[in-house]
Amino acid sequence: MKKKGVALRLWRRLSQVFCFILFLFLFIKTDYSGANDLPYAVNILFRIDPFLAASASLATKTLVTLMWPSLIFIGLTFFLGRFFCGWICPMGALLDSTHGLIPHVHEGYKTRHESLKYYLLGFLLIAAFFGLPAAGYFDPFSILVRGLAIAIYPALNVLATSFFTFTYQQMPAWINMVTEPLYGFLKATILPFRQNHYELAFISLFLLLTIFILERLERRFFCRNICPVGAFYAIVARFSLMRGKGGTKCGKCRNCMSVCRMGAIDEERTISPLDCNLCMDCVDMCPGNKISFSLQQKDVARPAFRLSRRTFVSSLAAGAALPFFLDTRTMAKRPDPFLVRPPGALPESEFLSRCVRCGECMKVCIGNGLQPTFLSAGLEGIFSPRLQARSGYCEFNCTLCGQVCPTGALTELTLKQKHITKIGNVFFDKNRCLPYAKGIPCIVCEEHCPTPDKAILFREAQVLNSKGDTVLVKQPYLIDERCIGCGICEAKCPLPGKSAVRLTSGGEKRNPQNALPTQTLLY
Amino acid sequence: MDRRDFLKQVMLWSAGITTAIPSFQIVPELLAMEKPSTVVHTKGKDYYALVARVLEPLGTISKFVKTGDQVVIKPNMAWDRNPAQAANTHPQVVKALVELSLDAGANKIMVFDRTCNEERRCYVNSGIQDALKTVKNKRLKIYHPDTRKFVPVDIKQGKAVRRLEIYKDALEADTYINVPVAKHHSLSRLTLGLKNSMGVLGGNRGQMHHNLGQKLADLATVVRPKLTVIDATRILLRNGPQGGDTDDVKVLDTIVASADPVACDAYATTLFDLQPEEIDSTVAAYKLGLGEMDLARMQIIQAA
Repeated sequence: MKKKGVALRLWRRLSQVFCFILFLFLFIKTDYSGANDLPYAVNILFRIDPFLAASASLATKTLVTLMWPSLIFIGLTFFLGRFFCGWICPMGALLDSTHGLIPHVHEGYKTRHESLKYYLLGFLLIAAFFGLPAAGYFDPFSILVRGLAIAIYPALNVLATSFFTFTYQQMPAWINMVTEPLYGFLKATILPFRQNHYELAFISLFLLLTIFILERLERRFFCRNICPVGAFYAIVARFSLMRGKGGTKCGKCRNCMSVCRMGAIDEERTISPLDCNLCMDCVDMCPGNKISFSLQQKDVARPAFRLSRRTFVSSLAAGAALPFFLDTRTMAKRPDPFLVRPPGALPESEFLSRCVRCGECMKVCIGNGLQPTFLSAGLEGIFSPRLQARSGYCEFNCTLCGQVCPTGALTELTLKQKHITKIGNVFFDKNRCLPYAKGIPCIVCEEHCPTPDKAILFREAQVLNSKGDTVLVKQPYLIDERCIGCGICEAKCPLPGKSAVRLTSGGEKRNPQNALPTQTLLY
Repeated sequence: MDRRDFLKQVMLWSAGITTAIPSFQIVPELLAMEKPSTVVHTKGKDYYALVARVLEPLGTISKFVKTGDQVVIKPNMAWDRNPAQAANTHPQVVKALVELSLDAGANKIMVFDRTCNEERRCYVNSGIQDALKTVKNKRLKIYHPDTRKFVPVDIKQGKAVRRLEIYKDALEADTYINVPVAKHHSLSRLTLGLKNSMGVLGGNRGQMHHNLGQKLADLATVVRPKLTVIDATRILLRNGPQGGDTDDVKVLDTIVASADPVACDAYATTLFDLQPEEIDSTVAAYKLGLGEMDLARMQIIQAA
């Protein structure tokens, strides 16, 4: 197995570049592609994540079968150790490639809070089990995809659009001969189809940036100290067969220690499989060629986790206790009426347990209607998706969000099911609605209502307009049983500001307590 | 304005009593009306072949498209519905017009619509994008409107709107061909040619709905198709303008065409057993002198 390191390191870099490009490709392809079915498994990054799989499974007390690919990576880690962190992880690749650009305080090899990630992992898994889902706030892929989808990608489009609008409006024709085709090319390839707008764009960006800012303290600070996926892999890697063997009778150069991005090599030059991500730098840097990676020798001890029992137990206790505070809040009694979940969403508590806040559904939503929730679903609901109809509606013939959800928090609906899945109900505000309030004809809502038998109908009525004339106008009203809550009426209402028709979660199928009043009781 | 008004004004002017010069801004239309508007309709199962047939009595496509022209062909593909649901122009009708225009020597043909549902879904589901893909010609461009290219236009003759944002390509084209689908619309009763022009508008189009008929007529003073081809191969009778239920669709196998946008709408109205006077936009456009609405004063030809 001993090989000259240059080649190995090169392979590792190649793998990182390849995986990162694949990641970006899948990210861009998380979009409508000319057919309702997505041709690629765009959510694969989340489905190979064993931490999220464990968290979602514990939270729902069932095996989340969608996430079976994570077993492959657990198995591979038994052989290879934390190779994922060094060779595959797109976040790791980003950190490695930007490391040189971020000024760091010192290049120490010691990891400051290496135990923190285990406490965090313990806390998150226990909390998930007892009903407080918080995995998505620490999972590196959730942070990465969310940051990209909600902040960076839309910002990139703003940048491109403003630049090419400037050239289009201000520059002479010969420059436009170059810039316009370039803009067209970018639009056809990497730019999003349209400018999306998101809530919490800045928070998502800052969360992502924080991981890069932490690089100042230590190389791969997040991976060494915080990353719960890394912690999960570390636990598996403790038993891994592939081990790095450091020099025992070498000099005092300590090259390997200072070059190790994970702080995995100690004073005795033993390489801890808990931290080593097999980047192969040490193999390459060792002047005496004394470091090698090979299948486990008999005398290699399994390293200890060096956890404080007290802290570990405390974090588990906190994880077990905190969930019981969730039901003390008013929202446990009466949820926010404007919190409308995407079609196919499971009942709220199960939905939140499964949802890993990855942002895939918001990225793929072609109406730009799915927005990250801020506080209306509680602290633990931040970044979970909601349909905010004024920013965009749910397209009648589209089922993309259910297709990209990696955990099944949104069940994948067939088009037929989607057409009858009621996610909410709209209500007219007659004080604002023009035909009611001003005697002005409108009914744009009725025009756009997509159900074949329209849920929004109108009656002709004689009203006084603001001039005091009696006019005949068409006034819209709703047939609750037909409305599926897509919110196109709210999105298209031509009033400035607040719409005169508002989508609420009333009547949503997944929550019987939200049933609408009827004259005949169904159950 | 009708002939009587026209003659009266001419007489008054020639008598030197009035210097109402503004009235003369619409003289060209009035003069055009001297010759009765021709509306052609035809029936058949082969929608592609129908287009050439309906244009024959109007002088074929070469009357409208000259060699080297920049042509805009504006179908209605506003909704995420398939051809059978009759919410969008039939793809074969659009394709036929495109190929006829290509044969007539058009330099560039642009096909687009500002959709109501998601743009890409509408282009795909309407079947128009795929139908035009089979026309392998570089002079044909089907594209999504670019938000930078809506230009504010003063509507000088407008009674209900003063200014609208209109797509640049529609304004600059040598030939603008309007290819609406005839269907039910709850507010305007029907959507025909004049309503289809809303697809070149930018901004908040919902505001057009407040006094829709007059605003559409105002729009028609600046967006002026040389040719209107109304697709009534299948018409949506209820739940328009987007439908969704094929039970609401009636197959008529008919296409109507005219160089007069108002006359074309007026005739197509009768296919729904309605009268032109019942459609506000037709009446308003007629009053602005944009075309004929009186069926009795049109030359209505049934093409072979």
